[in-house]
Formats: sequence, structure tokens, C-alpha cells
Amino acid sequence: MSRSNVILAVVLVVAALAILAAASLLHNGLSSRATPTSFEAMLARNARHMAIPAQGRKQQNPVAASPDNLRDARLHFADHCAICHGNEGTGDTLIGKGLYPKPPDLRAAETQKLSDGELFWIIENGVRFTGMPAFGGNHGSQEDSWKLVRFIRHLPQLSNDERLEMERNNPKGPGDRTEENEEEDFLRGTPVQQKHESSHPH
Amino acid sequence: MRAKFFTLIALIALTASVAMPHGDKKHVIGTLEKINADSIVVKTSDGKSVEVKLVASTIYVSHVGNEDKSAQLSNLTVGDRVVIHATPNGETLEANEIKFSSKSAQGAARPKR
Repeated sequence: MSRSNVILAVVLVVAALAILAAASLLHNGLSSRATPTSFEAMLARNARHMAIPAQGRKQQNPVAASPDNLRDARLHFADHCAICHGNEGTGDTLIGKGLYPKPPDLRAAETQKLSDGELFWIIENGVRFTGMPAFGGNHGSQEDSWKLVRFIRHLPQLSNDERLEMERNNPKGPGDRTEENEEEDFLRGTPVQQKHESSHPH
Repeated sequence: MRAKFFTLIALIALTASVAMPHGDKKHVIGTLEKINADSIVVKTSDGKSVEVKLVASTIYVSHVGNEDKSAQLSNLTVGDRVVIHATPNGETLEANEIKFSSKSAQGAARPKR
């Protein structure tokens, strides 16, 4: 194959992809309600993998998986991460479901097979073009990020009691607090008016 | 190298695909009317009976006093007050979490005069 043919083939592929992208844009707009296709997800995973320096991937977790460290990380996760990832790491939250791409299920093999160094790098540096911010630098200590890596490893075995403790430490707005108080009053036996089925965006 | 090039080109070109609808969570609050093998029926304060499916991932929480404790389906009894966080799935509701207080606990938790 001559060099000019190769260039022509590349130009044609790029043009075809650009037409597909334009057609998709015209049809769907730039809504983040969509779910990435498996092809797109695969590309994003590869891009993320390429973006993490080899040195970073090999880093070992210096923090022990002690009960104290896991509890610190659990409460930290409940306060900072659960708003998108959910306490169980499923990503099934109002904000998580509205992101493009959606946060991955942290318990799933796709996340669990990442090395400790990769998870640490993602927490510290974030991932561009996603909702994942960088928590490194001035936001917190590296030790906290390593503890979070321990907690992500623990997520598939999260107990119900641990989850309940996290719920108590989730950030809550006035609306959530009112709703929680009403539900608690109801469970205590306080007579309430018109408590029934209701929709809540979370 | 070729894979990296392909990934970069495709990343630039790809955009959104088909929009997927997602349902909001629902809260069902009322008194437990019936316990079936794979669902429960809740009588809400407006007199409606609402059936909620129990799934493998349903979490049971017993509310005693001011504390929430991990529980099981077998701890539920007809007459309990329940607060259910559920996800609509077609025509049905699937329970994510069932928080409940037994009749005796409700009495004990009431402030004394």
C-alpha cells in the first residue's frame, strides 16, 4: 500500500467518524442523560489507562487495612464521594445517574481489577471529561486517598451496619433533613397527616 | 501505538448516543398490611394499598428509639410502620430499603407525659 493510499484511508475514516459524530449530535444534542455505548466505554477505559503513568500504576498502598483506617475512609467516602458514587459504590444516585459518563460501579470487577496505584492516581488527579474531580493537592492528604483505596477494596463486603453509619454521615440539605425527621416521627408512632406514596429525586 | 492512535481519533469523534430514561426513587410510607413471599403490601394513610417487590438487594433496617439497626425480612410483622425507599421498574416498585418499627417499639419510643 502506497503512502498516499494510507493517508487517503485515514482521511476517509476520520471523515466518516466526523459525519457519525455530527449525526449523533444533531439527533441527541449534548445531553448527559445518555448512557455511553460499550464501545465508547471501552475507549474511555483505554484512554484512562494510557493517561496513568506506569510509575503511578505500580505504586503500593502504604496504608494498612486496619479497622481504624477503614472507618476513617468510610466516613470520608460518605462525606465526599457518596453524593455521586452512593454509599455502596453503585453510582445509583441522582447526581451519578445524571453524569456522562455515569460513575462506574466501584464493586464491579472492572474497577476492582485496577491496581491500588491506579485507584490512588484517579482519586488524586481526577479524570478529564467525566465528573470525577481531582482530590489531590490542596484538597486533602495523600494518606486519605490511600485509605480510600482500602475502602474501595472493602466495598464489595460492605455490611449493612457500615452502610447505616455512612448514611448518618452523608451531607444533607434542609429538604433531606425535613424528610428524614418526618419519616423518623412516623416510625416513632407520631400520628401524621397524609403520609403515603411520594416521589423523590434521589 | 496503533491502538493509541485509534483510541485518540475515536475519542475526538464520538459523542452522545441514545438517551435512556431513568426513574426517580419513590418513598412508600404506611402500615404493613401483608407479607408475601416476594412482596409486601403497605396501607398508606390515604387508604391505598401499595405492593412493593422484595429483591435480593433489599436492605431491612429496624428503627428502635433513635437508632437504626440492621434487620431481616423475618423481623417484619403485619402492623409495623414502614418507610420504604423503592425504585420503579415498569409497573412495579422494587424495594431498596425497608425501614420499620414494630408496634411495641413505637409505644416505647413515644415521649412520656
